[in-house]
Amino acid sequence: MKSLRQPTLETLGLGNILGIFQNGKLPAEAGDLVDRIFGKPGARCAMVVSGANGIVGAGKTIQLASRLIPFDVPIVGLDFPGSPDGIGGQYQALKGFFGQKRADQIMANIIRLNYDGKNLPSELKKLKPRFLLEAIPEILEIKKAHYAAFREAFPTIEIRSVTSGFPSSELGVGIAHPAFPHNINKVWEIVEDDVSPITQLFWALGLTPMPVSDHWSFVLDVLFCGLTLAGMRYHRASNMPFWKIDKFIRKFMGPNPFRAHDAIGAKGANFLTWSCLYHLSQKYGDLFTPTPELDERQETGQNWYPLNHFRPLVDWAMDDGDEDEFRSWTVGPLVQMTSLMLHENRAHLSHINAIGELCAQFRSGVPAFIRNMGVEAAIKSVESYHRLHPEAAGSGWYPDVFNKVEEPEWQQLYVNAEHDGKVGAISIGRESYNSDVDAELNRAIDWLRAEGIDRVIVTGDFHLASQMVGADTSDFFPALSEGEKGLQISTSWSQTARRLNNDFKVSVGFINGKRCMGGMLELLMHCHYLVSEKSSSLGMPEVTLPVVPGMEGCHWPFRKAKTDDIPKLLNLLLTGKQLKAKETVGWLVDFAGSFDEALPLVWKIVTEGEQSSVSRRTVVEKSINIPTEVNLPDSGNPATEAARKAIMNCIKDSCGTSLADALAIQAGHSADFMSSDYCRRGVIGATCAKVMNV
Amino acid sequence: MKEAAPRFAEARIPYGTWGSSYFPAWQTSALAEVNIGQFAGEAMNRIMGIRNIPTSVLDYLIIGSTIPWHWKFWTAPLVASCMGRRIPGYHMEQACATGLQAVISAAAEVQGGSNDVVGVLTFDRTSDSPVGVFPERRDYQRTKPLADVWDNFGFDPATGNAMIACAGIAARKHKSDRRETDELAFYRYDQYFKAKDSGFLDRVLIPLDVLNIQGRFLGRIDDDLGVRRLTPDALRGMFELDTCITAGTQTHASDGMATLLVTGKDKAPELSSRPEIDIQIIAKTEVRTQPSLMPEAPALAVQKLLGKTGLTMDDMVVVKNHNPFAVNDVIFAKVLNYDWKKMNNTGCPLVWGHPQGPTLTRVLIEALEEAVDIGGGYVLVFGCAAGDVGIAAVFKVTDGGKQK
Repeated sequence: MKSLRQPTLETLGLGNILGIFQNGKLPAEAGDLVDRIFGKPGARCAMVVSGANGIVGAGKTIQLASRLIPFDVPIVGLDFPGSPDGIGGQYQALKGFFGQKRADQIMANIIRLNYDGKNLPSELKKLKPRFLLEAIPEILEIKKAHYAAFREAFPTIEIRSVTSGFPSSELGVGIAHPAFPHNINKVWEIVEDDVSPITQLFWALGLTPMPVSDHWSFVLDVLFCGLTLAGMRYHRASNMPFWKIDKFIRKFMGPNPFRAHDAIGAKGANFLTWSCLYHLSQKYGDLFTPTPELDERQETGQNWYPLNHFRPLVDWAMDDGDEDEFRSWTVGPLVQMTSLMLHENRAHLSHINAIGELCAQFRSGVPAFIRNMGVEAAIKSVESYHRLHPEAAGSGWYPDVFNKVEEPEWQQLYVNAEHDGKVGAISIGRESYNSDVDAELNRAIDWLRAEGIDRVIVTGDFHLASQMVGADTSDFFPALSEGEKGLQISTSWSQTARRLNNDFKVSVGFINGKRCMGGMLELLMHCHYLVSEKSSSLGMPEVTLPVVPGMEGCHWPFRKAKTDDIPKLLNLLLTGKQLKAKETVGWLVDFAGSFDEALPLVWKIVTEGEQSSVSRRTVVEKSINIPTEVNLPDSGNPATEAARKAIMNCIKDSCGTSLADALAIQAGHSADFMSSDYCRRGVIGATCAKVMNV
Repeated sequence: MKEAAPRFAEARIPYGTWGSSYFPAWQTSALAEVNIGQFAGEAMNRIMGIRNIPTSVLDYLIIGSTIPWHWKFWTAPLVASCMGRRIPGYHMEQACATGLQAVISAAAEVQGGSNDVVGVLTFDRTSDSPVGVFPERRDYQRTKPLADVWDNFGFDPATGNAMIACAGIAARKHKSDRRETDELAFYRYDQYFKAKDSGFLDRVLIPLDVLNIQGRFLGRIDDDLGVRRLTPDALRGMFELDTCITAGTQTHASDGMATLLVTGKDKAPELSSRPEIDIQIIAKTEVRTQPSLMPEAPALAVQKLLGKTGLTMDDMVVVKNHNPFAVNDVIFAKVLNYDWKKMNNTGCPLVWGHPQGPTLTRVLIEALEEAVDIGGGYVLVFGCAAGDVGIAAVFKVTDGGKQK
């Protein structure tokens, strides 16, 4: 088995992507792991969340309770008497997700107990807790005493702390550090000596555990608290208010750290950020020293944004010089902090990258951001920062770590490839398709071809991407004003997609997540075969944005479909409605089934090709006729109607020509519509205006 | 340069640590729609940012305004919060003397050793000024409403006269004539537009973008809106409201803010963009003249100031005043035997408006910039205020070796 870079699944002790298909099953089953951790059905032991009414505790109680309910694991929410009802506060959201009946079931399975902080409640004895998730305040001695109490009462209990900053070595327990918003964010930073069944259970429950090293503060907090600190330092240098700094950080990088603090709850978030930075500064020096603004707010819990009755009045603008200085104050420390984490080997590089995107709103993870700006520019940004803030130059700066930027670990942050000498697997570890993914996918294809592999499975990575939501629409922002940019994106991405059809003898796309939409679906439909887990939702939501699909979705599936199925495809494209994969068998996917059915079948198809039980639907190369009459009820939305018309024109024109010419025709339609008023006034245009017009 | 003993020897105004908004005429700009206290705090923060002065250096804030604004009870600490700082301070008010008195108060804070870096922030919104309802048990109406700007302009409770009546009375007392006031007013407009066209005002006035409640652009405050070029014929043709008083020879209500820093003498070079320039606050005087003679009060205050400092008008390199009426300048010239063409070189409130609180702060900033341009010297700033009061102060600008 060879891989372009280490598969992230390996960090969880779960092997690799190709192995999943070779073995015909997932590497870990939730039921097995629940049995191992909590005992057999009928005699399940409990899980305890302490500090269960806090922001973290409540969110995680609900998240784990909702995922463990099929296994009848009792969930205990432990907190002080009189603590605000954080768990109850989650009920409405739970009802929204699951409906009242299921929400009631989940809530009913949570046993709420109070304790005085020292003596555990007697009821715990009979619940026989096997796993404690500790989410109590960040005070070391209190945490240690809490663990001691549990260990004395339940000597075999597994304990994980959600701590934001204390290393495992200080606490004496493993770490499972979650990310905001806690009821829905799936990412957990894990610190433990060896991968435990608990971590694998998290994965099997559909969560995203990522092992990180045992250092003060973990990857997320170094990035997030570090960026917040960078914003504070710029504030001190320029007077720019935090709300405006947020907008510029969002424009240039994606996060809005000050808004996030207020949204999480300034009282708690300010303290956690201060605590992380304070402890980091104790170890690493002034790079992390909190500013007086944070010192003050960690005590007062004051918001960073003005109160509603003092919404900002005076705007701030930047000229080019200001912008350079802003980047030095913000990008510089971020690059330096990343160098420190890489020097300390804090995590798989793809994990560091994904944590930034999935937990801190970075449009590109920080390694991808550094890769795109170039090592030389990244180092210069730090040097420039040091000129502004010389105290930060004293420690924690390791520019040599960037010498490895040309190596696969850096070059394949999102897309990996593996092969066993005959069959390859390309896995995409990002939920939305962007230019980085496109470039990495091309490199992965190049590598497999160079290795002599002509059979390939293309799929999500079963880890960092739990779904495939389509194109990353922030990549379209330049195309809103420049048709040429749209044409370039659409053309190049379509050319990449065609390689899945042209460069391999057999290619099989496998949809393993809960949904596959838009550009990602267009990409995978270029594979010779498309197989899906049966409950996955598939859709082409472009019409709702509105945009015209740009990766050949307007002709490629039509060229593979039977005439009778054309209306179904038209309906998919013109309504934007999602369908379950099993409803699309024969005209969009070739098979939909459970993992137990689908995984072996994918392996069979990829190894046997035409000989397998699934017949290949060929792509018609000549022009095809599409019915001109489509009877859809008027949507009542002029933009949707305009998009429908544009999509229909694109379908007719790109289907009405040869396969060879269709790519350029579809790209032209897509680019033209992207620079139209309808698109500019739509979701993408509005988002672009909000983010970029600062 | 003649030596005059400074009354505030420890205090300095660091060159360049200042700025003002433009003063759009009332009801003409986005400033008509803002909480002016909040706006002023945010604008000061922005101006100091542009001047590369971190507001974290501020120890104290003195705000000055004359028209009530929402939440004024919370005074300077609230305004400081609007610039992101939690510092103490207070509000002071002395009608149109506010903008100068606030600077003197800041100097006193420094001189007394209480604080080392004091922000002065003056502001007012005449647009849509609040209407107060006052319980008056001895009044037959029981309650008395008062529109803060116009009712006060129209009635001095101490004399029973309107402001404009004071101007007419003073003009008659000093035998001002219409021809001279028109000529003076035209000259003042010309001075203003020359300063504007030369770019001088760009060093003082900072364009500011105002946001609406949704955070979207509401308007740009980048002009003294309402100021128009007047011709001698137009001035001559204007209806006379009182002796020598026409629409062209009196100021107009406007909105705005102005700010500067007063610091200890050791701190000033650290904060100044030109540390070689030293600006001292030498002395201040005030007088109250006879009832309804407000326009002559500034001249009397200047006479008193010269007497106290031993300086003469010949020692002044810049002379600038707050002149809501052209007759103020005519009377000043007569009383001090001074050529009115030598003063108010870069514009004056007669032209660019009358937002009350910040007026004299902007006058001072313009005067200091002008003094720096000509190599330093004594700067005389003065003006009138409600209650027949005149205020005058003298500053000394020493520009790193150009003029000692």
